[in-house]
Amino acid sequence: MFTRVAMAEALKSLKVYFFSGRTLVWTLVLPLGNGLYLCFLYLPFATKSVNLQFNAATYTIDLVGFTIIGQLLYSFFTMMLLAGASFEAERWQGTLEALLLSPANRIALLLGEALANAVNYTWMLIALVLSWVAFIRVSILVTDLFALFASLALSYLAMVALGMCLETFDIYSRRGSIFTAWLQEPVMFLSGQIFPLQSMPGFLLPFSYLLPLTFGLMAVRLTLLGGASMHEVAVPLVALAIMTIVFLILARVLVNYAERRAKAKATLTQF
Amino acid sequence: MFGLLGPNGAGKTTTVKILCTLLEPTSGHAFVKGYDVVKDAGRVRKIVNMVAGGERMLYYRLTGRENLRYFADLYDAPKKEVTARVNNLLELMGLSDRADDEVEKYSKGMRQRLQVCRGLINNPEVLFLDEPTLGLDVNIAKDLRSFVREKIVREQGKTVLLTTHYMYEAEEMCDRVGFISKGKLVAVGEPQELKRRMPSGFSIEILVTRLTEETISGLGKLESVRKVITTDYEGESEGEKIDRLVVNVDNDEALPHVLTHMASTHCRVVSFNLRGPTLEDLFMFYTGEK
Repeated sequence: MFTRVAMAEALKSLKVYFFSGRTLVWTLVLPLGNGLYLCFLYLPFATKSVNLQFNAATYTIDLVGFTIIGQLLYSFFTMMLLAGASFEAERWQGTLEALLLSPANRIALLLGEALANAVNYTWMLIALVLSWVAFIRVSILVTDLFALFASLALSYLAMVALGMCLETFDIYSRRGSIFTAWLQEPVMFLSGQIFPLQSMPGFLLPFSYLLPLTFGLMAVRLTLLGGASMHEVAVPLVALAIMTIVFLILARVLVNYAERRAKAKATLTQF
Repeated sequence: MFGLLGPNGAGKTTTVKILCTLLEPTSGHAFVKGYDVVKDAGRVRKIVNMVAGGERMLYYRLTGRENLRYFADLYDAPKKEVTARVNNLLELMGLSDRADDEVEKYSKGMRQRLQVCRGLINNPEVLFLDEPTLGLDVNIAKDLRSFVREKIVREQGKTVLLTTHYMYEAEEMCDRVGFISKGKLVAVGEPQELKRRMPSGFSIEILVTRLTEETISGLGKLESVRKVITTDYEGESEGEKIDRLVVNVDNDEALPHVLTHMASTHCRVVSFNLRGPTLEDLFMFYTGEK
């Protein structure tokens, strides 16, 4: 039943929220433009590189690649924030009660919504990679394909799990998406999306390490642009795996709490 | 089929939502088919469904068929049965020819009929109808009432709880009714039984000739008679002037006693008419609303 509900929820969300002409432009064409913007912004520095320090080693990686990967994963993080907004849309159209009236597994519902956003992100990813390949040359250095795959997969999973936690905010309250929107700017700053973590003031680093985006960026940049092996990115990969598990457990606890509180406070029909 | 009646803000929808597990009671316990709606919420959700008035609870960008298939998945309806079940429901509610149109293109009546399909998609043992005919035109509302009464209650033997503002709707559809006022269930029973329990709920209108003071005072002394009112009446019978009497009585069993008394005092009864209280009278009596 779990898989069936998650798939049904994902398909419904894609049909209802994404597969319209307007949202296709938003998810496919606009990111393409965004990719081009980034390309031309960094083109003057295309020959430059950035030093990324990790595990007492320094990796010299392509600056444009560094920036574009930062943009890609941050966009994915934003999509996960938007997964929460799907439940806000359920409120607007008066379907949240119908959803929660059913015996469907709540985690499956959250996963379905997050997956719909993840699939939607894939369009964005394709658009950005296309622009990257078509217009600029980025020095790719991959020595361990499995490590790259593991980095991408675990980043994806950890952020989907985080997205599931954030969705519970919108089940609890109509103001849920405001809370998740607050995360956008701090995450952009703390995760090392636009500059290497070693540039960050030391006292902020503990906050950086609470974010899956930080470890995702680290692992993907090192394996795709820095030629790092599985052994070298073991720490961020383990961190991502632990975060995935923790976020899934947290999502389970939060969704039960959010649903019970919403039912006790009669907020399911508020929009 | 049970009707829950009460004025605005009495707590009808709140009660339904508590029973559907959409709200948690602030105190006390509620059970559906023996399951606690808080502790066994998961089990309750499998055996109930709800249809609310007002076009909500549907995805407008999906087609009618897609909506039903989606909800069938949420309720884990047997996969082999889903197509047949969806087609049957669409057929029953007369939506087959528009099944593949987006719901946003449906009329209000069609959306409400699709809501009923959604409410039946999990073949619930208990169906809650919260003002299901709200905003529907007369013919559609009538068809919907007939469908619920004949197909859902009589043929399929399901338990239905209806909340409504329309007294005639409850009178036409419900086997039992309950009156709710300020969150309290103030009366519950079969409509006829409740009418009998209502003091002075019945009145006998009698057209009579040769009426005397002795007849009127004697009537007032009968056990189940509450009030006797005489009014003027324009008319004659066999050359004698007709008077009109309205006798308020506790129940319909008082009728033979009243007529026997009339005969014993040599009045001549031209005609009589026993009128019982309507559900609207009961509503006003039990809830104190006008």
